[in-house]
Amino acid sequence: MSLVITNLTKQYNKNKTGLSNYSITIGKGVLGLLGPNGAGKSTLMKIIATISKPTEGTLFLDGEDIVKNPDRIRKVLGYLPQDFGVYPNLNAYEFLEYIAAMKGVGGKDLRKRIDILLEGVNLTADAKRPIGTYSGGMKQRIGIAQALLNDPKVLIFDEPTVGLDPEERMRFRQLISDLADDCIIILSSHIVSDIETIADEVAIMKGGLLLEKAIQPDIIKRVEGRVFETLIDNSELTAFKTKHLVVNTNRQKDKVSVRYITRADGPEPGSATVNATLEDAYLFLTQNS
Amino acid sequence: MKYSFTLIKADYLQRTRSYSFLITLAITVYAAYSFVPPTNAAYTTLNVTGYRGAFNSAWVGYVSATMTAVMLSLYGFLLVNNGIKKDIDTEVGLIIATTPISNFGYLLIKLFSNFLVLLTIAGITFTVSMVMFWLRGSGYPFIFTDFITPYILFALPALFVVSGLAVVAEVFLGKRSILQFIIYFFICGAVMAGINGPESGNPTVAFDPFGLSLVTGSIKSQINTQFHENIKQVSFGFIFSNRKSFRTFEWNGVSWTAIFITSRLIWMAFSMALVYLSSFFFHRFDFNQSASRKKKAIIQDQQTISTEIRPAAINAGPLPPVVIDYGILPFIKTELLLLIRKGAKWFWLASAGVWIAMLFAPLDIAHTYLLPIVWFLQVTRFSELVTKERTNRLHYFTYSSYKPLLRMLPAQILAGILFAIILALPIIVRYIINSNIDAVINILLGAIFIVLLAVCLGIISGGKKLFEIIFFMLTYAVTQKIPAIDYLGATPQQDNTSHIVIIAILILSLVTLSFFVRNYQARHL
Repeated sequence: MSLVITNLTKQYNKNKTGLSNYSITIGKGVLGLLGPNGAGKSTLMKIIATISKPTEGTLFLDGEDIVKNPDRIRKVLGYLPQDFGVYPNLNAYEFLEYIAAMKGVGGKDLRKRIDILLEGVNLTADAKRPIGTYSGGMKQRIGIAQALLNDPKVLIFDEPTVGLDPEERMRFRQLISDLADDCIIILSSHIVSDIETIADEVAIMKGGLLLEKAIQPDIIKRVEGRVFETLIDNSELTAFKTKHLVVNTNRQKDKVSVRYITRADGPEPGSATVNATLEDAYLFLTQNS
Repeated sequence: MKYSFTLIKADYLQRTRSYSFLITLAITVYAAYSFVPPTNAAYTTLNVTGYRGAFNSAWVGYVSATMTAVMLSLYGFLLVNNGIKKDIDTEVGLIIATTPISNFGYLLIKLFSNFLVLLTIAGITFTVSMVMFWLRGSGYPFIFTDFITPYILFALPALFVVSGLAVVAEVFLGKRSILQFIIYFFICGAVMAGINGPESGNPTVAFDPFGLSLVTGSIKSQINTQFHENIKQVSFGFIFSNRKSFRTFEWNGVSWTAIFITSRLIWMAFSMALVYLSSFFFHRFDFNQSASRKKKAIIQDQQTISTEIRPAAINAGPLPPVVIDYGILPFIKTELLLLIRKGAKWFWLASAGVWIAMLFAPLDIAHTYLLPIVWFLQVTRFSELVTKERTNRLHYFTYSSYKPLLRMLPAQILAGILFAIILALPIIVRYIINSNIDAVINILLGAIFIVLLAVCLGIISGGKKLFEIIFFMLTYAVTQKIPAIDYLGATPQQDNTSHIVIIAILILSLVTLSFFVRNYQARHL
């Protein structure tokens, strides 16, 4: 199964471009989308989810044009939008039955399927309460359950870990890696560590453009040997930032421990080389583009 | 103070930058056009039996201003009684609650913002009134003050009072918009009933919050003097009759008195005082504080559950195979469930009361009054049929589902129609027993029409207000037996076939438009 996106452009109006000439091929596994706000991640996801039409470009799922025939992908789609809502007067069972009907899932085993999903997202005990009384994390978990109702082959998660506590986040990552063998998973997050632990490939976006798409080690290679740590005076920090790309600071009394990426002139004297991470590469690519 | 202007401006812009407001303005232009009917029209707006004013500046200006005051007093309330609700829905209220702004300050901002919204509409009717003078022109000179003065002294104070009452209603009755409107409607009705009371120049006109008795008194006095009549009744509104010939009288407006002008200022101050008093009861977006004991128990219960349960593994587990079912019955079931669960229980009791009354009341009363009322009681249910997905941010799921246009939308429409028919069942059964098939068809078409109107206006405007206002106007038209806009066919028609054909064409148009626009929306989020 593969999703081939070619020269995709989304122009909202004269001054606002969501995506610009975007091309990417996505196969089975997890693709992590990273990018600052306004990078076009949600726009791309909405277009793949068929709720937004591209201004230009094509989108093929296994050779079929899903811009012209959106129902082709809708049958196999699981989508968790960033700011989705629920019907507050329905309980979890009723809500999931409703979403199942939307996805065309029925049959006598539907209830059993919902039971297992609710158990999986730890909502069994609350399943008969109106969803309007749920906390943010519980709503997010019901969102995850609905995305899995139809055994999706294309899963789109837009900021899925928002509202989840650390333990739930960890379990969500586990779930994703369980599913990844069998389907295309596209996942966006502001939390680089989430992407780092889940994604097979990473696509870094900015201003509607694709800056880089590769497996994690290849992306990290872009900054390997250029990431350093050093200790400087508090007063030197501002000047330091003008010379190097500071990715992290850690205050220690009147000194500051600085993690930085050199631009051109090499490291400051006394700096120690450190292992580059995806976050370093992400910041380097988005800041330097 | 300067911050207040910024806040009022922001609130006003937020409320007026919407398609529904644009549609409201378009309807306003048409309404303002119809405020001044031509001499051969089958209706009047300012009605004195057998008489009609000559189309001079005063007549056109006053009729337009008074009609604006009357219509906006009724419908304007519906239009603006959601200012605080918007802040609750968008959760902007939570931010506002943490700022230094006082309760009174906040409510005052809402009052002025309401007023500006109504003023915008009044501005349109004012402009159209001057255009109408030229259109209906009878050679009288154009006198600008005849147009502007009634707007300033009748319409503006009346709209200010309405704006204040809308704020007070929101503070005390919160989200119970139907109850707000019912109470307001009765207050308004009582005030309107008194417009023929005091004569012109009588100081008691000061007690009329809309000031209309000054106009009615002056017109009566003019006709009674000119034609030696003893007219006691002048009424406002769209009044249909078959009368074609009227005696024309020339009227040059009212004489303003200091008492009247002062009374307008007092009414405006009174509405501000009401807002001030209500500020002591304003929730300031703290709903836990005002939650009932039962609700508090639920909240506590939830907290207990949340702390007791340890999160289990999020795991897809051994799921049974997917069985494909693209039928729409599960949607219809859920839509009906949502319709039933919406609203307070006491409202169901009221509806049940009217439903039972329809079994025993004389058929014409049941058809003309009880059925439109029981349907109108469901106004928020109908208006939410297609807007609730967006309000609850569920449209992402709906639009990305399999064939949403051929499954979701028809299910919503069918659920709405089924619901309306169930409510009309007592009358339908009685008509069937009486073999009155025409009436049965009229009611069924009425049910389909009203649901599709809710669907179409909801889809186009993206909100509920527009339908709610139009539904109220239609309900009012049915109970007033106005044949031209009687969608229920309750008023005996000369030719019922034409009525059926017209409603059927409207239904087809609404269906087509709804599907067309929703099709676009589903792919352009």
